[in-house]
Amino acid sequence: MNAAADPGAGRVLDADVGVVGAGPAGLAAAGSLARAGLSVVVLDEGQRAGGQIFRQPSPRVAGCGAAPPSHRRGRGLLAAFAQSGARLCSGVTVWDARPGRLWFEQAAESWLVRCERVLLAPGAYDRSIPFPGWTLPGVVTAGALQIMGRAGVVPGKRALVAGSGPLLLPTVAALLGAGVQVVAALEASPRSSAWRALPGLLGHGGRRAEAFWYLRKLLGARVRLRSGWTLFGCEGEDRVQRALIGKVDAEGRPRRDTARSIEVDVVGAGFGLVPSIELGLLLGCRSRCDPRRGGHCLDVDGEQRTSVPTVFAAGEVCGIGGAEVAIAEGELAAAAIVKDLRGVPVPPALAVAAARERRAADRLLGCFPPLPGLCDLATADTIVCRCEDVRLEQTRAAAALHGRSLRAIKVGCRAGMGPCQGRICGPSLQALANGLPGQPADLPVVQVPVKPVRVQTVLDAPRG
Amino acid sequence: MTDAERTAVEFTFAGAPVRAWSGDTVAMALWAAGHLALRRSSRDGAARGVFCSMGVCYDCLVRVDGETLRACTTLVRAGMLVEPGGKP
Ligand SMILES: Cc1cc2nc3c(=O)[nH]c(=O)nc-3n(C[C@H](O)[C@H](O)[C@H](O)COP(=O)(O)OP(=O)(O)OC[C@H]3O[C@@H](n4cnc5c(N)ncnc54)[C@H](O)[C@@H]3O)c2cc1C
Ligand code: FES
Repeated sequence: MNAAADPGAGRVLDADVGVVGAGPAGLAAAGSLARAGLSVVVLDEGQRAGGQIFRQPSPRVAGCGAAPPSHRRGRGLLAAFAQSGARLCSGVTVWDARPGRLWFEQAAESWLVRCERVLLAPGAYDRSIPFPGWTLPGVVTAGALQIMGRAGVVPGKRALVAGSGPLLLPTVAALLGAGVQVVAALEASPRSSAWRALPGLLGHGGRRAEAFWYLRKLLGARVRLRSGWTLFGCEGEDRVQRALIGKVDAEGRPRRDTARSIEVDVVGAGFGLVPSIELGLLLGCRSRCDPRRGGHCLDVDGEQRTSVPTVFAAGEVCGIGGAEVAIAEGELAAAAIVKDLRGVPVPPALAVAAARERRAADRLLGCFPPLPGLCDLATADTIVCRCEDVRLEQTRAAAALHGRSLRAIKVGCRAGMGPCQGRICGPSLQALANGLPGQPADLPVVQVPVKPVRVQTVLDAPRG
Repeated sequence: MTDAERTAVEFTFAGAPVRAWSGDTVAMALWAAGHLALRRSSRDGAARGVFCSMGVCYDCLVRVDGETLRACTTLVRAGMLVEPGGKP
């Protein structure tokens, strides 16, 4: 192509492998690939490498940086990656992809990676369930409160953590590290879930050390994780000031007669994680639905290859499983790519290790199944779509008029059409709008750009 | 960035001075300063702020020197003018 005709010429990176995500999966893979002699470019939206678990903000409060044992592994991973020769582009957003091509926005510039193989390791984000008052400032996801806690920036003294699943523990620990009082830690699943999770936790070396580290923190601060409780709603003037909490039944349905109000300054709510499959869908990769592991995730073969032969995936995007799974899958994916490009066979031990980690994760996550009754937390005037301010009653009217599919509801009331592109409301939108708790969500509708970028970025996109 | 490499940075939010540290995201700096409401919904006027803190929800939109950006994915710079934003 004539370079003069392409406004993007010059903003192209050529590499053997383009990796999306510098979390445990992407880092483990990129390090292995670079050590095998392949050229690697890693693209990540975060301002520093590490992904959701190992990205350490600079702490503002002495001691709030105290990290659980797994973070030692993270430091090792980061150090090995830094020495591997793989190239990292931080603070960039990948907004379009084709096999062998990744378009990304860096500051105000539009760039392209051209590569032989693409590895998707974009991780996951918090699963939210709408409740009255969840749009108030100070009400955030459990993950957000963990991030802020680790940085030592929690406005106020009284924090509430609510939701379901193992990730409530690191959030509570981060708050305690920041010197904040955790007035309540509420696990919606019944107490039997926690007991059933114990063998899975204690039978796995890494998880056992991790669990003990967190439990020591909680005991030391006299914080008790209350099972069978959740957050019914939040109230306040321009920021959260009070939370309504109460018991739920075994399916998560709120028992309104048990409700009581407590004063809080910040609230973190998280009901598990949702795999970031949008780029994979855009690339044409097949997905599968596994409710235990976060719902829709990318389908991969025994060597992390997606249904598109030159595209691989590793980590939470293939199903929620935690950092140990992500690292094992990243190493396996790297070996499979080296096999493709260099003809070196995949060491069988890598597939065995990944399968072992996945089984351990399944045992743990299987103890916290989705709780369909939590759909009852939202009332008719609760905002469901935060971007477009669409309320529950409007989504119901749209579903009644236009149909039950995700697409019909979106078109009918604009829910999921804002800048988050339905990532926040999408997973629970259909169940809420159709009044069918537990209804599995349709696949998300993906569009280009998969994340909002400047118009100029799209216009200036290097061709190729 | 190690603690020793961090320097004090000052910027303004809605006209008020905010002290932060290099390496902070705008969201962290504003939370630390007690600014939870970062914008108002263009529909019902209600206050909104950080929700996911990882670049997914776009609820933390602010205008930084005139450009609409996510507070949670943008690093602080000395002298930057930050104003409440709005969703497009
Ligand atoms: C907020 C949060 C906190 C968590 N804390 C813990 C914890 O304390 N302990 C624990 O065991 N597990 C935790 N988890 C679970 C954790 O995600 C996994 O254990 C592990 O980090 C998964 O690794 P990964 O490599 O698959 O993905 P991630 O670590 O999520 O990394 C994916 C990376 O891809 C980037 N990315 C995604 N899409 C794009 C795009 N379009 N363009 C550019 N970059 C992109 C993201 O910015 C991210 O850095 C947490 C999850 C979340 C969401
Ligand atoms: S808080 Fe969600 S994008 Fe910034």
